[in-house]
Amino acid sequence: MSDKTEVNLSGVKQSKGVWLVKVPKYLSQQWDKATDVGKITIGKKQGKTEVRFSLSAELSALQSAVGEKDGSLQVPRDHPFTMHTVGGQTMAVFSQSSTDEISLEGMVVHRAECRPVVNDNYMKLKKLQLKESTKPQRLSQQLERAITTVFKPVANHDFNLEYEKKKKSEGKMVRAERQVVLDMLFSAFEKHQYYNIKDLVDITRQPVTYLKEIMREIGTYNSKGAHKSTWELKPEYRHYQSAEEEEETEAA
Amino acid sequence: MTSLGSSNSSATEYTVRVPKNTSKKYNIMAFNAGDKVNCSTWTQARMERDMSARRIYGEEETAEGAAGSEFGKKQREEARRKKFGIVTREFKVEDQPWILKVNGKAGKRFKGLKKGGVTENASYYIFTQCPDGAFEAFPVHGWYNFTPLAKHRTLTAEEAEEEWGRRNKVVNHFSIMLQRRLREQERGDDDEDETEKSGKKKKKGGGGRGGDLRIHDLEEDLEMSSDDSDSSMGDDGESKTKAKKNTGKGQAKKKKRKSNDKEALEDSDDGDHEGLEVDYMSDESSSDEEPGKGKPSKGEDHPKGIDEASESEEESEEEKQNEEEAKEEEEEEEGKKTPVQMEKKKKKDSSGESDSSDDSDIEGETASALFMKKRTPPKRAGGRGSAGSSRTGSRPGTPSIDSASTSNTLRAAASKLEQGKRQTQGPGTDSPAAKRLKMEPSTQSPVPSGKSTPQPPSGKSTPSSSDVQLTEEAVRRYLIRKPMTTKDLLKKFQTKRTGLSSEQTVNVLAQILKRLNPERKNVNDKMHFYLTE
Repeated sequence: MSDKTEVNLSGVKQSKGVWLVKVPKYLSQQWDKATDVGKITIGKKQGKTEVRFSLSAELSALQSAVGEKDGSLQVPRDHPFTMHTVGGQTMAVFSQSSTDEISLEGMVVHRAECRPVVNDNYMKLKKLQLKESTKPQRLSQQLERAITTVFKPVANHDFNLEYEKKKKSEGKMVRAERQVVLDMLFSAFEKHQYYNIKDLVDITRQPVTYLKEIMREIGTYNSKGAHKSTWELKPEYRHYQSAEEEEETEAA
Repeated sequence: MTSLGSSNSSATEYTVRVPKNTSKKYNIMAFNAGDKVNCSTWTQARMERDMSARRIYGEEETAEGAAGSEFGKKQREEARRKKFGIVTREFKVEDQPWILKVNGKAGKRFKGLKKGGVTENASYYIFTQCPDGAFEAFPVHGWYNFTPLAKHRTLTAEEAEEEWGRRNKVVNHFSIMLQRRLREQERGDDDEDETEKSGKKKKKGGGGRGGDLRIHDLEEDLEMSSDDSDSSMGDDGESKTKAKKNTGKGQAKKKKRKSNDKEALEDSDDGDHEGLEVDYMSDESSSDEEPGKGKPSKGEDHPKGIDEASESEEESEEEKQNEEEAKEEEEEEEGKKTPVQMEKKKKKDSSGESDSSDDSDIEGETASALFMKKRTPPKRAGGRGSAGSSRTGSRPGTPSIDSASTSNTLRAAASKLEQGKRQTQGPGTDSPAAKRLKMEPSTQSPVPSGKSTPQPPSGKSTPSSSDVQLTEEAVRRYLIRKPMTTKDLLKKFQTKRTGLSSEQTVNVLAQILKRLNPERKNVNDKMHFYLTE
């Protein structure tokens, strides 16, 4: 991403001219399904160049995946192209390959719009499309019977039960040796500078009062500032460096 | 391909294929018609995504682990965001703009912004004709509008706002970018000479009169000549710089006179006089003018004389510290001159030394401070510094006066100022300031100067043919008879008559005036000199 990709200018050098064609959505959907999509006829009618595209027969027969629609609706087959010149605006085509290689494919020489021939068939198709698009995405449905499977009154919720069980299994937090706790704290402060008292309790599994006592000894409490209500080690105990952290232990 | 022979139309049929296996994604690169981009002229091109938006998204990268980090900070931040419903948009590489560089370093640059909504309702296909005659259609993945990027420097938003506020006062718009460039240069290198050089170059290059109206060719000539002399100066060589300073001084004097009336005794805001240019385009000259502008409004000086003096002293004291050896020498030379001159010169020198090309802002500030006190502007562009030194150059000998003595003389100068006796300030400082002042009131300056000129001729019936020499005696005679502006005096000693070049005339006249130390009077908003015998 950061390195520059040299643009392959071979397309432009050869002055490859391409057409930029605007194609309706339904047609492009059909095109996605096959490779050979149809034929283009370029002819001269009364002096004017005329380009027509005719969709191949297979693609013309609409087959929807769900099978709701029958084959009565057909994608229009005949599409005359409306050609415009580029009119001063320079448009080039560049392609990006999967390996992030950029190459300039060519210059746009003509713009075209693929228009279907407007007939009944087309109108039906459009009607269908409209119906689809006007359907709301979300729908309110009325239910016949009330839902009784959820929100039954319960003596004690499951969640609560689990919590109590967990508490019982863990048991009360016992005061460990002071030195042990200090070691735990120092190793914790090696990883981060600021800690919440709750987090420290979590880490050390010590009762709050005991822990606070120890923290008061080796650390300070930030009541203001960016790291509000957090504990950090006293300056003499810490030795942070930019990349790594070193901890200075105090002589017990 | 089959050809159908129809009755009145001939048509050729081609098959259309939509290849499914391509790994390439096709995009449109659209240029503006007015840019007249011709892709066939490109010899080489490089394109990459513009990732500058990434840091906006990737911000708040606080220290993770180690110092400064909090336990569980990330989770907390996330929870907070969810609570407030803050949805940060992802940084999608696909949607980032492209940067296209054509023909290497010296070529054009383009920025391609993705156009939204292209593939929503209709699909675009690229039809290319294959050698076998069939068409291949490739779907267009994205559309990018490429616009050329400006290579020239542009103002940032803040600067643009500033300049917008000054648009009515600034006449010379070319200098805006010039000064910006000089400012950047100043930050880049501290070498005074370099900036002096560049400043001079710009002076020459800028050339334009800005929007300033000039009525007097003589002024122009004189200024031009001094300008030339300035630019012709080499960088080194005290003598050279001194010479420059001399000419600068003469110019400054003139400009100061011109600017006198216009100054209109207003508080000059920061950079007010930035755009004022008479001759040069360079920052130097403008900055030169600024100090000069301080000088002009002398009329109201008297009560403030003490304050000014003390302030200028302080300023000069400060600047003294910044000076290098070389400058000190020049200062010492200045010791010979009148205290006021010295003061100013010192300021000039120090300013010239300390920062090669001054920020016009700094200049403006000091200038505005000074203007009220009508003190020599302490700072001036490098070019001016040269002018200051050139002034010393004209003086014979260099008395070795240490800083102590200069400060003493400064006090003397202060007291002198109190009396309202002011010599012409450092030419260098004057000229830019004078120039600025000229620009500011725009057309006013030339007019009053124009007006003043008829006076002397009408008053004086001296046969100019007889008085050819530019001597102190002659000047004295003129000033005794009638108060005159420097412009008038210069007119008296026309180059053709005296045989001196305009540059020399300016120099000599400046010296003479210094020696004479005439009284000053403000007539018609112009500073006139006169002597009473």
